[in-house]
Amino acid sequence: MKHLLPMTLRINGETHDLLVPPWRTLLEVLREHLGLTGAKRSCQEGQCGTCTVLIDGKVVNSCLYLAVEAQGKDIQTIEGLAKGGVLDQIQKSFVQKGGVQCGFCTPGFVLATKSLLNDNPNPSEDEIREAMVGHLCRCTGYVQIIEAIQDAASQLKPESGN
Amino acid sequence: MSYLRRLPKFEYIATGSIDEACDLLAVHSKEAGLLAGGTDLLLQMRRRETSPAYIIGLKGVTELSGVRALADGGLAIGAMTTIRALMSSPLVREKYGVLAEAAAGIGGPELRNVATIGGNLAGALPCADLPPALIALGAKVTLKSRSGERVVPVEELFPQFGLTVARPDELLTTIQLPSVPSCSGGTYLKFHDRQSMDMTTVGVSAFVTWDEASQVFRDVKIALASSAPVPMRARKAEAVLRGRACADDVLEEAAAAVCEEADPRTSWRATREFRFELLRSLTKRAVRGAREKAAPTIGDVL
Repeated sequence: MKHLLPMTLRINGETHDLLVPPWRTLLEVLREHLGLTGAKRSCQEGQCGTCTVLIDGKVVNSCLYLAVEAQGKDIQTIEGLAKGGVLDQIQKSFVQKGGVQCGFCTPGFVLATKSLLNDNPNPSEDEIREAMVGHLCRCTGYVQIIEAIQDAASQLKPESGN
Repeated sequence: MSYLRRLPKFEYIATGSIDEACDLLAVHSKEAGLLAGGTDLLLQMRRRETSPAYIIGLKGVTELSGVRALADGGLAIGAMTTIRALMSSPLVREKYGVLAEAAAGIGGPELRNVATIGGNLAGALPCADLPPALIALGAKVTLKSRSGERVVPVEELFPQFGLTVARPDELLTTIQLPSVPSCSGGTYLKFHDRQSMDMTTVGVSAFVTWDEASQVFRDVKIALASSAPVPMRARKAEAVLRGRACADDVLEEAAAAVCEEADPRTSWRATREFRFELLRSLTKRAVRGAREKAAPTIGDVL
């Protein structure tokens, strides 16, 4: 049995060459090998959404994804969202609308919002709620999170012609 | 408990083709686990319910994913087609709405992006949502090994809890749907606690072919989730409905027949008695809903 596999992961646009056992999940590699602790470990069974990352632009539970299978894909974590110290609009909206309290669920919600708004720049409240079913928040009661997502959508909307 | 548990150790083998996967299964057979989306298998491994020495990764087998129309009017769906691809496929949505409906009700976006139709079948869990819809549609699967391939109806795929009739050297490659008759329609209804993300407490799928001239059910197929140790077809209830009108007393009779056939269990999720109540009401609603889809313009007493 091979205990260490060489693997190459592209995370937030940066390539990482790693030696990792094949039974490590993407979440474990992000947190323990690369120090990217934005994705959180919680339920470990796909219920809570705190480990969410984007793989080729799609939301995925990184606790249920083998690191070895994430090779050749474009992985995005919360750490890659702010550019040059400036928060992404989605992050700003979460801060401004009180969508962040303890913060544990926030990276998952923010990345799920990014994926939602890429597919559907103008979601209804029902579509927002449907897109967030895989995420639990024990602080906000969700209302501020929905408002933050609506705010981000309206801020990001392409300028309509004058 | 399993809170901080890591996965058990295994050797990972990536595959790029069906033939290669079959070769690997022939060599490793019982020691191998086939990894599709991983949303079931990795959980079971973390709980040490299974610890395969070899994990054969199927994500790179591109020939296993996708939906294509067949010459006979049916559809072939690759086993590695994700739930998301299934529910958004125009081919599926257009003629097999019941399957798209069942797919859309599975988990949330994070799970649907990786979980696959093949995994939902091969896991052989009674609470899986796709088997009832596929059984109601009369779907079959192809099981392939180095020594050949065979076709098995989905309703004969599950001999007992957690098992399929596939041998350890066989790979589930394709799901075939027959063409749908005119004046037909299906629906899948389920009850679950959170109304999202949760396991199905009871699920009922009905597929109806309606006889417009005589205003009766020409054919009905009903299949159930979480109502027995395996996904099951409710043949007695189907027989009750065939050739009858869509009337309250007929539906009531069919619902009673479903409860006679089903054998749900009591678990922390729901008691056996509560599941019977759910079966009774979901059966009536599913059959009526399917009938409305089969012939939406007809206005007999509903």
